[in-house]
Amino acid sequence: MAEITLVEALTQAMAYEMRVDSAVILLGEDIGKDGGVFRATLGLLDKFGPERVRDTPLAESMIAGLAIGMAAYGLKPVAEFQFMGFIYPALDQIINHAARIRNRTRGRLSCPVVFRAPYGAGIRAPEHHSESTEAMFAHTPGLRVVIPSSPKRAYGLLLAAIRDPDPVIFLEPSRLYRWAKQEVPDDGEALPLDVCFTLRQGTDVTLVTWGAMVKETLAVADKLSKEGISAEVIDVATIKPLDMNTILESVEKTGRCVIIHEAPRTCGVGADISAQIAERGLMFLKAPVQRVTGYDTIVPYARLERYYIPSEQQILNAINNVMEFA
Amino acid sequence: MKIFNLPDLGEGLADAEIREWHVKEGDVVAVDQPLVCMETAKAVVEVPSPQAGRIKKLYGAVNDVIDTGAPLVEFEGEHEKTGAEPRKDGGSVVGSLEESSQRLEETDIIIGSSKQKTAAGVKAMPAVRALAKQLNVDLSLVQATGPHGQITAEDVKKLAAGANKNPVVGQAEKLHGVRRAMAMAMTQSHQEVVPVTIIEDADLSNLPANSDLTACFIKAIVTGIEAEPALNAWYDGKTMERRLFAEMNIGLAMDTPEGLFVPVIKNAANTSAADLRKTIDTFKQTVKSRTVSPSDLQGATITLSNFGMIAGRYATPIVVPPMVAILGCGKIRDVVVARNGNMEIRRIAPLSLTFDHRAVTGGEATRFLAAVIKSLEQTC
Amino acid sequence: MKVVAQFEIPYYQCLNESSTAIGELPKFAQDPKQLLHLYRLMVLIRIFDSKAIALQRTGKLGTYPSTRGQEAMFVGLGAGLAKEDIFVPYYRDFGTLIQRGAKLSDFLLYWGGDERGNSFGKNNHDFPFSVPVGSQPLHAAGIATALKIHKQPHAVAVVCGEGGTSEGDFYEAMNVAGVWKLPVVFVVNNNQWAISVPRSAQSSAQTIAQKAIAAGFSGEQVDGNDVIAVRYRVEEAMKKARENHEPTLLEIVCYRQSDHTTADDARRYEPEGIREQEWTKEPIGRLKKYLEDNQFWDAEKEQQLQTECAAEVDVAVAEYINTKPQAPESMFDNLYASLPEIYLEQREDVKHKEVPVHG
Repeated sequence: MAEITLVEALTQAMAYEMRVDSAVILLGEDIGKDGGVFRATLGLLDKFGPERVRDTPLAESMIAGLAIGMAAYGLKPVAEFQFMGFIYPALDQIINHAARIRNRTRGRLSCPVVFRAPYGAGIRAPEHHSESTEAMFAHTPGLRVVIPSSPKRAYGLLLAAIRDPDPVIFLEPSRLYRWAKQEVPDDGEALPLDVCFTLRQGTDVTLVTWGAMVKETLAVADKLSKEGISAEVIDVATIKPLDMNTILESVEKTGRCVIIHEAPRTCGVGADISAQIAERGLMFLKAPVQRVTGYDTIVPYARLERYYIPSEQQILNAINNVMEFA
Repeated sequence: MKIFNLPDLGEGLADAEIREWHVKEGDVVAVDQPLVCMETAKAVVEVPSPQAGRIKKLYGAVNDVIDTGAPLVEFEGEHEKTGAEPRKDGGSVVGSLEESSQRLEETDIIIGSSKQKTAAGVKAMPAVRALAKQLNVDLSLVQATGPHGQITAEDVKKLAAGANKNPVVGQAEKLHGVRRAMAMAMTQSHQEVVPVTIIEDADLSNLPANSDLTACFIKAIVTGIEAEPALNAWYDGKTMERRLFAEMNIGLAMDTPEGLFVPVIKNAANTSAADLRKTIDTFKQTVKSRTVSPSDLQGATITLSNFGMIAGRYATPIVVPPMVAILGCGKIRDVVVARNGNMEIRRIAPLSLTFDHRAVTGGEATRFLAAVIKSLEQTC
Repeated sequence: MKVVAQFEIPYYQCLNESSTAIGELPKFAQDPKQLLHLYRLMVLIRIFDSKAIALQRTGKLGTYPSTRGQEAMFVGLGAGLAKEDIFVPYYRDFGTLIQRGAKLSDFLLYWGGDERGNSFGKNNHDFPFSVPVGSQPLHAAGIATALKIHKQPHAVAVVCGEGGTSEGDFYEAMNVAGVWKLPVVFVVNNNQWAISVPRSAQSSAQTIAQKAIAAGFSGEQVDGNDVIAVRYRVEEAMKKARENHEPTLLEIVCYRQSDHTTADDARRYEPEGIREQEWTKEPIGRLKKYLEDNQFWDAEKEQQLQTECAAEVDVAVAEYINTKPQAPESMFDNLYASLPEIYLEQREDVKHKEVPVHG
C-alpha cells in the first residue's frame, strides 16, 4: 500500500466519502481546476465533476453562507477556506448561523457542514497565513473543532467530520501537510470524534498537545525516554468537545502535566485544560500544570517566525520544571 | 558560489530534463541570464543564472535528467558548494512546505486513555503536599482519612506527631537477608497457594509429665503422614505436578531477632526422640549463632510451627511452596472440658493445620489431623 | 412599462494596439519628458520584478507576486495621484508606491519576511499591503470620510484585483462611498485571473466597472496596457473625487503575464496560447514603439536604460541582503503603544530563545 502525506490523506478521505455519499459537495477558492492551493482537492474535479467540486468567486462569507444554506437543504458541504487567516469574514455566518441553526429551530433544521482550513505557522508564508485561533471557535457553543496531526488521523477524522450531523471546524496544520508519510488504508473507517488519542504511554509526565506541535512533543518524549523519563503523549485531536477524561486519567497516573500549543498563550485552549485539571485532578498533581505556547504577539513575518513557534527546548524546560518541582 | 544546483522548479518536483542549453562551457554570463531550458513533469521552465561569471562546466547534455538539488552548472571560482536552495514549495500559493521522505512510525495509538493500572499516586491537595514536605513526612506512609481517599493536613500532622516520639518511624529501611527472604516467600505463597486451615484441639493429658513436647509433635506428624502421605509432598502449580516423598523432612519454625528460620529435621520418621531433641537443640544454637548451614534450611516436606510457645491459640499458618501443609500449635493450656458427662480439667493443645487445597483434599487433611491428634492423645 | 434607469460604461484608450494615438492625446502625453518618465518607470519595474522572481527561485526571497504585464496599471496609477492624496494598495502595487516615497528594498524586505518593509519611508499616510483580499476598500472609504470631516482637498485611491470585487467588503465600501459621497476612487486591476479562477467564473456582470452603477456612481473601463490612458483616467477621477466628492470605479483591463505568485503554476489552469496572444498588447512594448516612432527613443537609449535600471535594482538587492533580521524581541515592540507589563516576561524569554537554524 502506498504511503501518503497528510494532505494526500485528506484528498483520499474526501474522495472516499464523495464516492459513497452523493450529498457531499466541495466548495472553495481554486479547489477545482487547480486542486486547491495545497492540492488538498487534487483530481477531485476530474473524478466528480464541476457540480460537486465548485470553484467559487473570491468571497469567504459567501462560501460559509452558501454552505449553510446547502446543508439545511439536504447536502453535505465541505467548504475550504484558503487559510485560517481568511476565515474571519465568514465568522458572522459561522457563529451566528452554522453554530446555532439546530438550536434555534429546535432540531428542525441542522447544519452538517465541514469548514476546512490550513492553519498554523511554520511555512514561511507572507503575513496572515500563519494563524492559530482555534480558541475562538472552541469558545463558540454549537461547533466542533477538530485538528489532525498525522496522515492516518487526518483521514479518519475528516471522514468522521463529514459524517457528523453538526458543523465542524477542521483545521489542518499546514507545516505537517507534507512532512511525513504513512500507510493509510482507504477503507472508509472513521476515527471517533470527541476523544483524545494516547500516542505514547508513559508514567512520569503527561504531555497534552495537538496539531503541528505533536511533532515536537513526540521528538521530546523520545529524547526523554533515553534519559529515563517516561512521558505520556496525548493528542487532543477534538479540541471541542474536549475529552477531559482521558487527560485526567493520565494526570492521575503521572501527577504532572505540560500542555503544548502553538496558539498564543492568553486564553488559549491550554488555559481551559489547565483549569479543568485544577477542578477535577488537583489532588493528583505533584507540580503545577505548565503551558508551553506561542507568545502573545502577532505571528512575526518569515524572518523571525521560528522564534515564535514553541521550540523543543522550551518543551524540555517545562518538563524539567515539573519533574524537579517536588 | 561555484556550483549551482538545480533548484526546485515547482511544487517539490524531484527532477527535470535538459531540453536546451542556452550557454556553453567558457561562456561569460550575466546574472539572471537564461542558462538552460528544463522540462519538468508539468512545464517547461527557463532557469536563470544566479550570478555573473564564466561557465566552467555544464552537468549534463540535452535529454539528461537532473535531480533537484544536484549540480547543474559550475562557475569558475572557489569551490564552495552553495547555489540554489531547492524550492520546497509543495503546491502552495504561498510559503514553503517542508517535504521529507520521513515515514511516520506510529504504533499502538490508543483511542482515549492508556488505562494503565499503575499504582495510583497519592491523593493530596497541593497545600497538604507542601505541609508534608515542610514536616518531612513521607506521604506514602500517611493514612488517608479525607474525602475521596485524600490525605488531609490532619492526617499528615498525625503522622508527624507520631514520628516525633520515635524518630525512627518514617525512615524507610530496605529489607535484606532473612527478612527479605521471608517477605518474598510469603508473597509467593499468597500468590500461588489455595490455603484452607482446619482447627482442632489435642488433649495432651495422657502424655508423661516432662515429655519433650516438640519431639512428641514431630512424632505425631510422622504418624499423621503415615496415615495420609498426601501432606508430605511438594506441588508445582506451573507444571501441575505433585511429588510425594517417602522421607519425612520436617521443618521446624524458629523465631530469632533476625527473623524466621526454618531448619529441617531430616528423616524424622527414623530418628529417635532423643536424637530429635539433640537435633533440635543443635539447631537452636546454630540458628542463634547464625552458623546453621544452608543445607539444613532446605528440603522440608512439611512444617511445624510452635508459635504458642510465645503466644497465640489458633492461627492460619502459611504454607510455603513447594510444600503443601503446615501444622501450627498454639499455647498449651488447661481447659475445662466435658468428658463422660463430667467437667474435667485437661491439658489442651490448640492445633491449626493449613493445607494447600490444590494438592490436598479435605479428606486427606482431616484424616492426617485425626491421626496426629490420636498420636498425641495416646502416647509419645 | 417604462425604463427607469439605464447605464453606459465607456472604454478609454489613448494609444491603440499598434501604438498609434487615437485622436488627441491628453495634455501631459504631449510632453515627451512625461512619457519618458512613465516609460523608465515601467522598465524599472519589470526588471525589478524579474529579479525578485530570480531571488525567490534561488532561495533568497519568500513567496512573491509578479506584476509582469501590469506595469502600465501601477505606473499610470501612481503618476495620476497627487502627492497629498492617500493610496491604499492591495499587494502588487510596488510600482505605484515607489513613486510615493517607498524604496525598492522595502518590497524585498516585505516579501523577504521583515515587517520593516511596510514602512514606505517618509510616506506617513499610505496604507501597507492588504493580504486579506478585498478588505482594504473599506479602509479607503474610512480615510475618505476623515478627509471629508477635516475638509481637506485630497482624495483616496484604492486598488484590488477583479477577484476582490466578489468580496462583500467591496460592495459595502462602494455603497457607503456612494451614499456618503466620499472622495475615493476604486481602481480594479482586472488582470483576468484570481489565482486559478478566470474572470468569467468570478462574475457574470458584463463589466466590473458597472458595479459602480449599483453603488450610485460612474464606472469606466480603461485599457490597462496603455499607460497614457491609465494616468489620464486616474487623474480625472481623482479630480472629480477631490472637487465634487464623487467616487469612480476604474476597471483597468490588462493581463497577468505570470503565475499568481512564485509558488503558483499557471500551466495547471491557464489555456495554452492566451498569454502569448495577450503579450502582443503588452504596455512597455506599446509605449516603446510610440516613442521610437516619434523619435523620442532609440536602441542606444534603451540599452543605457536597461543598464541603469539593472544597477538600481542591484543596489536595492544589496541593501536588502545586507539588512540583518530584526531582534526576536521586536515582535513585542509594536503590539501596543507601550507594552503592558504582563508581557515583559515573554519578551525576555524570546530574547534568549535558541532556535533551530533555518535557511
